[in-house]
Amino acid sequence: MLVMKNINKIFQTADIQTHALRDFCLQVNEGDFVSVTGPSGSGKTTFLNIAGLLETYSNGEFLLDGEDVGTLNDNGRSRMRNEKIGFIFQGFNLIPDLNLYDNVDVPLRYRGFNSAERKRRIEENLERVGLASRMKHLPSQLSGGQQQRVAIARALATSPRFLLADEPTGNLDSEMAKGVLTLLEEINQQGTTIIMVTHDAELALRAKRTIQVKDGRVSELDVVANIHQASA
Amino acid sequence: MFSYYLRLAWISITRHWGLSLLMICAIGLGIGTAMTTVTVNYLMSANPIPEKSQQLYYVQLDSWDVNDPFDDGLNPPDQLTYTDSSNLMRAKKAFRQNVQAQAFGVIEPADPEMLPLIVNGRANSADFFTMFNVPFIYGGGWSNQSDESKEFVVVLSKETNDKLFGGKNSVGQSIKLEGNMFRIVGVIDHWQPKPRFYDITTGAFNESEDIFVPFHLIADEKISRSGNTNCWKPTGDGFKAFLASECIWTQFWVELKTQQDKEDYLQFLNAYVQEQQQFGRFQRPIDNRLSNVMQWLESQEVVADDAQMMMAMSFMFLLVCLLNTVGLLLAKFLGKAPEIGLRQALGASKKTLFSQYIIESACIGILGGILGLILAYLGLKGVEGLYGDYMKDLATLDINMAILAVTLALLSTILAGLYPTWRACNIQPAQQLKSQ
Repeated sequence: MLVMKNINKIFQTADIQTHALRDFCLQVNEGDFVSVTGPSGSGKTTFLNIAGLLETYSNGEFLLDGEDVGTLNDNGRSRMRNEKIGFIFQGFNLIPDLNLYDNVDVPLRYRGFNSAERKRRIEENLERVGLASRMKHLPSQLSGGQQQRVAIARALATSPRFLLADEPTGNLDSEMAKGVLTLLEEINQQGTTIIMVTHDAELALRAKRTIQVKDGRVSELDVVANIHQASA
Repeated sequence: MFSYYLRLAWISITRHWGLSLLMICAIGLGIGTAMTTVTVNYLMSANPIPEKSQQLYYVQLDSWDVNDPFDDGLNPPDQLTYTDSSNLMRAKKAFRQNVQAQAFGVIEPADPEMLPLIVNGRANSADFFTMFNVPFIYGGGWSNQSDESKEFVVVLSKETNDKLFGGKNSVGQSIKLEGNMFRIVGVIDHWQPKPRFYDITTGAFNESEDIFVPFHLIADEKISRSGNTNCWKPTGDGFKAFLASECIWTQFWVELKTQQDKEDYLQFLNAYVQEQQQFGRFQRPIDNRLSNVMQWLESQEVVADDAQMMMAMSFMFLLVCLLNTVGLLLAKFLGKAPEIGLRQALGASKKTLFSQYIIESACIGILGGILGLILAYLGLKGVEGLYGDYMKDLATLDINMAILAVTLALLSTILAGLYPTWRACNIQPAQQLKSQ
C-alpha cells in the first residue's frame, strides 16, 4: 500500500519558490491500477518521482508498504526502489550500450541474485513481452514498441509490488500503445499495483482509478472500476 | 559485482573508444615521460652494494693548498696522494683496506693470429675483491701476500676471458701484459655496479674494467696509470718525484665493521694528519672524512641536478596530463548522466555507482600505464641514443620500475577519477530520466 499524507514539494531557486505539490494526499491500495492525469506543470511527474523515491519531498508523510520513506538514507531508498518498485518511462530509458539481456539484468545485479536466478528471470520476462528471441540485440535494433516492452520486462524482472509508468505510450503509435496498455492490464491482473501518468484521456479511462492533479493537489478522483462494473 | 563492473568498464571503453583513447594517451604520455626520468634517477641513485654500503668508507684527507682550498673549502680533495694512501695501507688499521687507481695496458695474445688487445684496467690491492663482493666464475682475487711479494698476477673480466680463452677456465695460465707475463688467478663474472661506486672520479656510470692488477705495479712502472690527477704545486722531475708529490690520483677505501671502528679509524686519520703536519704537510685545518657508499655518492652529486630537475618537470607534465584526464572523464561520466539516473532508479546506490565508475577509471589508468611503459621504454632508448654508452646501463626498465609505472598510472587515474565520479554519483535521477 502507498500512502501520502500532506506531501509538499517546494523547488527553491535563488529567489523563487515553486510549490510543485501542496498537501498532496493519496492512498493506493494493493492491486490498484491508478492513472494520473492533469495539465502540464500540475505536479503529476513530481508526484511520480516522489512515489518512486527518485526525489525527496519537503514535508509530509509517505508510507510505502508501511515503511516511512522519510527516514531512509540513500542505501535504504535504493534498496526499496530495487525491491518494490519498477519503472517504465516515456523515453524507454534502455542503456544503448547493453543488449536486451544485459538491460534486463541491471536491476537483478543490484538485487544480488545469483547467475542462474538472473538468467531465469531475464528469459522469463523477455518471453513474457515476446522478445526472448532478440535478447542479444541492442536497443537501437528494435522499434519503439519493442523497446518499451523490453523496459517493461526490465521493470518486472525484480517482481516489484509497484509499477510506476510515466507516459508509457507517449512515444508510441496508437497500435503499439494499445499493445503496451494491454500488457500493463495483464500485469495488473496478476497482482502488481500500477500507477500510470498519462495525458491520454482514453488510456486513463482503462485504469481502475483515475486521479487528476491540478496545482499540486489531487483535485478529483473517479473510480473507473465502478464505471467498468456498471457497463458490464 | 567486481567482474560485472569490469565488464561494464570494458563495454564503455570500447563503445566510446575515441574518448577512451584520448584519456589512455594522456595518461600514457604523462606516465611514459615521468617513468623515463624516474628510471634514470632511480638507477643513478640506487645503492650499488646494499649489503655492505654501511661498512665501506671512502677516505678523504685535506692535503690541499692552504691558500687555495679544494672545492672552495666545501669538501676535502676527492682523491689521495700516493704518499698518503701508501702510508695508510702500511698502517693496516682497518678491517680491510684498498688503494686503487685506474690503469690501462696492452695484452699480447698467445695466439699470433690475434691482434693485441688494449684493455682498461684497475690497479688495486688484494682486499678490493672481498671488500666489494666481486663475483668470480673461476679462481678468486690474489692474496695480501701476493701484494707484499709484488707478484705479477691478474684477474680478468668475463668479457676479456671470453676474448682470450673462449670463456674457458684460464686460472693458472699466463698473459703477456705490457711486455710482462702475468699469472691469471681469477676470472670475474659480469660485474657492473650501478653507479660504479668504487671509482666515480673517472665516471660513475662507466663500464667496469677489463683487467685487475696489483697496485704496486704502477709504482714499479710495470703498468701505466690513467684516470684523473690533480696537483696544487709543481712536481719534481721523474716518476719517483711524481709519486712523492702532493698530486692526488689514488682512491682509498676501508671496510669498518662497527660505528666504533669508524670512530677509531677517524681518530687514527686525525693522528696521522697531525703527524704529517710536523713534516710541513697538511697546512689546512683538519677535515678528514669517512663517507659510506651512499654518503660518498651523494657528496659527489652522482645524481645530477639537471636529472632531478627533469624528473620534477616530468611530474608536472604528468599532472597536466591528469588534469586533462579529469576533464575528459568528467565529460564522459556526465555524458552518461541519463544512464546513471536510470541505474539509480533501478536500485543502484551512490556507493554502488561510485564503485562502478572508479573501476572504469582504474581500467583506463591500467591501459594508460601499459602505454606509459611502452613510451618509457622508447624514451629510455631515446636517452640511450642521445647519450650513448654513458647511459647504456641506466636506460633500462626493470620489474620494479614496470610495477611502479602501472601502480602510478592506476593511483593517479583513480585520483583523477574521484571528482568526475563524485559528480556522476550526485546526479539527480529524476531530472535525467525525464530529459532522456
